[in-house]
Amino acid sequence: MNKVAIIGVGHTKFGRLKDKDLLDLLCDASLEAIEDSNTSDKDFDSVYVGAMCPGEFNHMTGVASALVDRISLIPAAADHIKNGPASGGSAVKAGFQAIASGMDDLVLVVGGEKMTHITTPGYVTSTVATVTHHEAERPHGISLPGYAGLLTRVYLEKYNAELDWLSDIAIKNHRNASFNPIAHFQRTIQDFMESAINKGRGNWDNIYDYLNDDKTNPVIADPLRLFHICPISDGAVALVLCNAQVAKKYCDTPVLISGIGQATDRHIVYEREDITILNALKTSSEQAYKLAKKTPSDIDVAELHDAFEILEAVESEDIGFFKKGEGAKAAHEGLTEIDGKIPINPSGGLKARGHPLGATGVAQVAELVWQIRGEAGKRQVQDANTGITCNFGGFGNNIVSILVERM
Amino acid sequence: MDKEDKVEWIKCKNCGYLQHSSHRRCLNCKNQSFKTILAQGHCTLLTYTILNAPPMEFRDRKSYALGVVKFDNGIRALGQITTQEELKIGMKLDTTHIKICDNLDGREVFANVFKPIE
Repeated sequence: MNKVAIIGVGHTKFGRLKDKDLLDLLCDASLEAIEDSNTSDKDFDSVYVGAMCPGEFNHMTGVASALVDRISLIPAAADHIKNGPASGGSAVKAGFQAIASGMDDLVLVVGGEKMTHITTPGYVTSTVATVTHHEAERPHGISLPGYAGLLTRVYLEKYNAELDWLSDIAIKNHRNASFNPIAHFQRTIQDFMESAINKGRGNWDNIYDYLNDDKTNPVIADPLRLFHICPISDGAVALVLCNAQVAKKYCDTPVLISGIGQATDRHIVYEREDITILNALKTSSEQAYKLAKKTPSDIDVAELHDAFEILEAVESEDIGFFKKGEGAKAAHEGLTEIDGKIPINPSGGLKARGHPLGATGVAQVAELVWQIRGEAGKRQVQDANTGITCNFGGFGNNIVSILVERM
Repeated sequence: MDKEDKVEWIKCKNCGYLQHSSHRRCLNCKNQSFKTILAQGHCTLLTYTILNAPPMEFRDRKSYALGVVKFDNGIRALGQITTQEELKIGMKLDTTHIKICDNLDGREVFANVFKPIE
């Protein structure tokens, strides 16, 4: 199997991007990645575009074919990869396989979504909820936030954890995103609170009082509140991949994709023996560690899929950093801060970098590339040589893990 | 009670594994023949949430409670709960079959929902 290197990164800002449509975003990220990889004069063999719902959100199909036309990569093979909120991770995996197999030499991987223009109440929630089981789950009115609420309640009771510890994850991720120029929310929760005080919306003694106030932080899926849940965002991210043997021709600091894994779990979440265990993450991360010949203790930095802050806690356990039931406590104790034992989501995570569904799995890898290159500015993790991601599809029933390291 | 009122799973005729009726093969041994098993007895609440941001099918509802339950004979189910008050993991519930919404195409949707035992 050929070794696969990342030689270029392109990343639009995440957020509410009114002046750009989905193809604009995919093009912007792609052209930036091509420029970053010094491949502007090269032909690409294939292009993989991860996007969850362009048909439903943008009335657009064939996005990969449209992209190669706009950015003059014809006749490159072009595929649209769909794996729910893990579409980005699956697109990276498809690109990895193309190079690793020897079939392709130069590949563009892009992830993107454009969703903040949708104003119909409940439309985004309903559309994303179509990933749930259409007989056993969806007819009852479940949504992904609903499942996160069900998981949170079990987790807090079973492991004697506190909701404020999940708030600590949100506080950390917003703080990290305040140092990330492409993040959707470049503001700390303290900033949100002070702004609310200045506008006369209330007065709170501390950040936890603010976060436990029904007016400023309403309960969405009890016990989870608004600040425990990621936003919807627009944005796109692109990576250029090539055979690692030639990577240094293009780029001084290529980053190796040394491990990759993907696994599934029961579609019906309540059929799982213990819903606090993400079997698909255990399996996919074990595959990634094995391929890379690494263990969790080798990881310097991780980008996990905190669509809901409970997920960061649970994922930090099942990816091997903490014992079962200790992830939320570890975050509360500061172990996952940028200068902690195992920094998680220095980018701000889905919570604050934002979550344009199909973009997220690619964005996670992009952040690790910046961290390994030493280009992460004030959110730089010291001695970041090896990182891993968790990109979570469905409600944990299809998970991609990607392990990258310095070449 | 008509068929829809019942919570039914299937039991593998080869290995006895119990699973939701939508599976075509046994999740444990890949066998394809099953016996239908009906939920029996009361059910116990394993976890619950109160959803204040419903999907658009439930646009007429401001909020509702959802729970995962386990029946005495091991069958599990997800469904709405008739109240949002005094819910507690481990409490016993009964099953009832009611209309829960009008679908986006105007069709009435009925489902099993769970009600605290008086």
